[in-house]
Amino acid sequence: MAGLGFEFDLFVKILPELLRGASITVQLTAFSVAIGTLIGLFMGMARISNYKIFSVPSAVYVEFIRGTPLLVQIMIVYYGLPALGLNLDQYTSGILALSINSGAYIAEIFKAGIKSIKKGQTEASISLGLNYMQTMRYVILPQATRNILPALGNEFIALLKDSSLVSVIAISELLRRGMIVYSRTYDAWTPLLGVALIYLCITIPLSRAVQYLEKRWEIHD
Amino acid sequence: MIKENLLRKKKSKNEEKNSNGETIIKMTHVKKAFGDLVVLKDINLEVKKGEVLVVLGPSGSGKSTLIRCINRLEKIDEGEIFVEGKDIYSEDMNVHQLRTKVGMVFQQFNLFPHMRVIDNIMLSPIIVKKISKNKAKHTAMEFLAKVGLEDKYNSYPHELSGGQQQRVAIARALAMNPDVMLFDEVTSALDPELVKGVLETMKELAKMGMTMIVVTHEMGFAKEVADRVIFMDEGYILEENEPKELFENPQNPRTKSFISKIL
Repeated sequence: MAGLGFEFDLFVKILPELLRGASITVQLTAFSVAIGTLIGLFMGMARISNYKIFSVPSAVYVEFIRGTPLLVQIMIVYYGLPALGLNLDQYTSGILALSINSGAYIAEIFKAGIKSIKKGQTEASISLGLNYMQTMRYVILPQATRNILPALGNEFIALLKDSSLVSVIAISELLRRGMIVYSRTYDAWTPLLGVALIYLCITIPLSRAVQYLEKRWEIHD
Repeated sequence: MIKENLLRKKKSKNEEKNSNGETIIKMTHVKKAFGDLVVLKDINLEVKKGEVLVVLGPSGSGKSTLIRCINRLEKIDEGEIFVEGKDIYSEDMNVHQLRTKVGMVFQQFNLFPHMRVIDNIMLSPIIVKKISKNKAKHTAMEFLAKVGLEDKYNSYPHELSGGQQQRVAIARALAMNPDVMLFDEVTSALDPELVKGVLETMKELAKMGMTMIVVTHEMGFAKEVADRVIFMDEGYILEENEPKELFENPQNPRTKSFISKIL
């Protein structure tokens, strides 16, 4: 199994270390998607609001985040915020940056999801006396959420891969662990290929799960 | 105390008497435009408690817009609308409360697809009227029985036929115990064989003394059930009369041509 220079023995030896990194990667992603979903929900609703006081800030936020590289955002949070007197440790910075980043993409997903629900649903709901928030909570969001679950799943997968960028602020997630092994052994090929393999082992089952959900949660109307 | 009770009884007796009771909806000089398109030009209309009013007219004549203004699904540009004596655009008007008094049924049913039939009906009584779950369920079952679908309470909307869905939509509106019901072409999206069941339900409702404003193309229903029919075209009410008179002896030439085309 030493084909193409891949040192299988080394891989097995460093596997526990890489898996600890993978566990951090998954945790970072899960926290960030959870917070990002909350941000996205409110920003998505604000985006389609008739009131400019909500829709404009939301649009600015989404444009700014989607128009700048995640790497820059991570560095702004970790190296930039202390200039404002806000010192966060690496993990908090990482989660904050990833959450704010995914929040913008998830806001767009929610926006599309809410818009995909037919106008008649809102009309029926308000004609029964429900107000805007009640209509959102009981009628629109339950349907929208079901429609956007696959997109949310894909966002989770995308963020899981993008989270490798927080290695630059020395969070010992999966990629960083691989790099540490490289600097110790002077073998880049084996640990980095191993890192890629572990990412695949997480993302492939996840995207299969999303596909399954997509089929299963098809809404009838 | 006793006097008050007597008064209340008297009042409710009056209310039970259909048709010749008090005015429940009054529209004066109502205008409504969508951009450059003026849909309602000068609408004056009164509906009495217990009355069944059918609104006829070619498509685009403003019929649907007219009834959608009554529960403020559309905002009027000029004029006034009173429901039970209250200006629905006055500042102290609570629009959500208005809508609990004015039930509406739509052409596309608009049942909530993610909820079972029973939950569709219970939602607003529980959320808006804050009625207990048990009581709301009890009431919901009663109304489901009224529309002949008590065995479907646990189904999802997509498991029902269009006609059944529309009858659930009627039960859902009734569960709020409204004083007026608005019907916006409720049989137009149905296969012909399903229309009858919905119309039967509406007839039952009329018999019970419900105040109804019905936009429809069902002439049979209009003839049989309506107390009064109005004919609309290009944003005006051109003619109004008892159904027999309006169908057999239309005065306005446009009413004449419309009636001759559809009968």
